[in-house]
Amino acid sequence: MDIIFDTIYKIQSEVFHDHAVDLKRGTWLDPWAMGLVCLKAAEFKNQTNKQLILPSDANMLLYLKRMHLEQIFGEFTYKSFLKPLESIEINERENDNVCEIIHCIFRDELDARLGKINRMFLHFGLGEIEGSMTTSLVGELGNNVFDHNDGQWPTSVRGAIILAQVNPRQRRIEVVVADPGIGFKGSLAALSAPVKNDDLEAIKLGLSGVTGRIGEPRGQGLRIVQNWTINNFAGIVRIHSGSGLVIVDKNGLHAEPVFPIVGTLASFMVKYQ
Amino acid sequence: MLKFNTVLNGRPSAKEAASRIQQIVNGSAEREDVVLDFAGIEVLTPSYADELLRILRAKYGVDKVKTINTSEAVTETFNAVAALSKEAS
Repeated sequence: MDIIFDTIYKIQSEVFHDHAVDLKRGTWLDPWAMGLVCLKAAEFKNQTNKQLILPSDANMLLYLKRMHLEQIFGEFTYKSFLKPLESIEINERENDNVCEIIHCIFRDELDARLGKINRMFLHFGLGEIEGSMTTSLVGELGNNVFDHNDGQWPTSVRGAIILAQVNPRQRRIEVVVADPGIGFKGSLAALSAPVKNDDLEAIKLGLSGVTGRIGEPRGQGLRIVQNWTINNFAGIVRIHSGSGLVIVDKNGLHAEPVFPIVGTLASFMVKYQ
Repeated sequence: MLKFNTVLNGRPSAKEAASRIQQIVNGSAEREDVVLDFAGIEVLTPSYADELLRILRAKYGVDKVKTINTSEAVTETFNAVAALSKEAS
């Protein structure tokens, strides 16, 4: 069973149930689904009956090992469920096209990692200009995580979780930033006319440049993420925040209600030459 | 700018850099331009660019603050920030 963007919103009750993250039947996870898995694991972290059910598929376990899943799930106190991964030994240099999960707990870590992320994009095959611009987009999404959540993290998990994957055959790179924070709706709650109960409306406002950082000249970051992704890289921007999902591409904006998460998952997919 | 970092990201870092630049300039802007050299900069994020230029232009004037040796990617960042600032004003 592929657990990917195209399937996760149909099979979510099989993957996330009873405070369990259940990957048992998983044969593939894309960065979007992995981001959701990380956010749900953070959400369930303090539940006494929480569970992580690892896949039985050996290749999938190897893939999760290469992504350093046990490191972030160890931080989220799932250590007792990680034994199948801990027993695997891998050569880290076997597949350079797989990026490990990067958890930047503080802003300084994000700053420090961007240089490495830039080099990773160059290694993936992006040119210097494309790589630099793509790294800028990661920086903008990562900055937003700290700008809108510091002082307000809803759970004991904080920071930006960054995932990236290259598809060399389709010459496509997907970058996902998972944010276990207050979400678009929470961020815009500070406005004089706050968005009451609608995550979709909040995401649309955020994408249009409206910011919860009242009185500060901000709100450009997401607009540049959209402009560059769509106009420079023929790509797609996706945002899942609370119970809303918004997708923006050259054809316009598509919005639909989906299962709820604590925080926000934002991704951009770029095509390169 | 290379003396700050090769990757310039985020408003907090830009505020720090702007403060330091004001100390380095130390009054000489009355006679000379403030020239920011971006040679060797690998990544410039829009939020850094916006914050840095906003602070320095407010202090010294739009015409006094100049950028040189900007790579194509850095130029794209400045252009994107300028376009959105123009739209907002």
